Amino acid sequence: MRKAHNIYKSEKLIRIMLEYDEIENTISSITISGDFFLYPEEALEILEANLVGKRLEKETLKQEIDNFLKDIEVYGFNSTSLTEAIVGCKT
Amino acid sequence: MSTIRYDKIRTVETGFNSAALNMAIDEALIESVGEVPILRIYGWRPAAVSIGYFQSMNEEVDITKCREIGVDIVRRLTGGGAVLHEYELTYSFISRRYPQNIVESYKWICDAIVISINRLGLDASFVPLNDIVIAGKKVSGNAQTRRKGVLLQHGTILLGVNVSKMFSVLKVPSEKLRDKIIKDVKERVTSLAGTTYDDMATSLKTSFAAKFEAKLISDTLSTEEISHARWLAERKYSNNEWNLRR
Repeated sequence: MRKAHNIYKSEKLIRIMLEYDEIENTISSITISGDFFLYPEEALEILEANLVGKRLEKETLKQEIDNFLKDIEVYGFNSTSLTEAIVGCKT
Repeated sequence: MSTIRYDKIRTVETGFNSAALNMAIDEALIESVGEVPILRIYGWRPAAVSIGYFQSMNEEVDITKCREIGVDIVRRLTGGGAVLHEYELTYSFISRRYPQNIVESYKWICDAIVISINRLGLDASFVPLNDIVIAGKKVSGNAQTRRKGVLLQHGTILLGVNVSKMFSVLKVPSEKLRDKIIKDVKERVTSLAGTTYDDMATSLKTSFAAKFEAKLISDTLSTEEISHARWLAERKYSNNEWNLRR
């Protein structure tokens, strides 16, 4: 298990705290924080839970985030920037 | 554009309170608001840092420094960034009737703030999503949440700025860039220096009445609202479980 973090500047600042399985390349836990707006607010925890177990690769994550954002209003990031922020933890 | 109008607006001036009690009163008013919307006007004593709902207190705030210099810390119900509340008037507007579109609803309420500033002889304007600027510099930041069919928007109107103190309690993403970040903020933020809290409060109330064509009903918090707010301040907004959640 490896811990990593990343700060990514989108329209707003996104901070990612990540634990991932290096062998399986999957997310073990993730916290997304920042000065963005998201409605309803509680939905972010659902996204974080949905990302656990997902492969730490752009295509998988973007698809998961796109699905999530269909029913959510977000100001400050989009699926591309959030994906970049998460994947960027590995570099 | 929304055509929502109110017959009455209940105005409540709660004075200067701790960060925990200030955020607790906002939540208590979400629970208690009826058909008549509420305009709350307040300040912060001691000075306080509030962080957005999605922010991490440890990442954004020098908690030790805040303790040393007597600055409160609290996490808001609303998103957005960290704010040092000191020389400002803060308002909350709580309503069961509001435009469902988020961008529109910000403008709808911020228009009243713009009017209140311009009544003082200035030239403010709204910049989506949630800022009010004078000559391109931010003078008011606003944030909203929607819970249980109620919209709460709160925001600051800066009456003074102490950028040095701000960055003594707020962390910066990169220490290497600290000087540049401070310089940028000094260039991007302004205040209504010279305007008193009381003058701003009067202008704000008048402007909400004008914007929404409403009669103002001056009121105080009810016994139940005070009791609920004190409970929330003690059990939620003073606790690490809430404030250090992310």
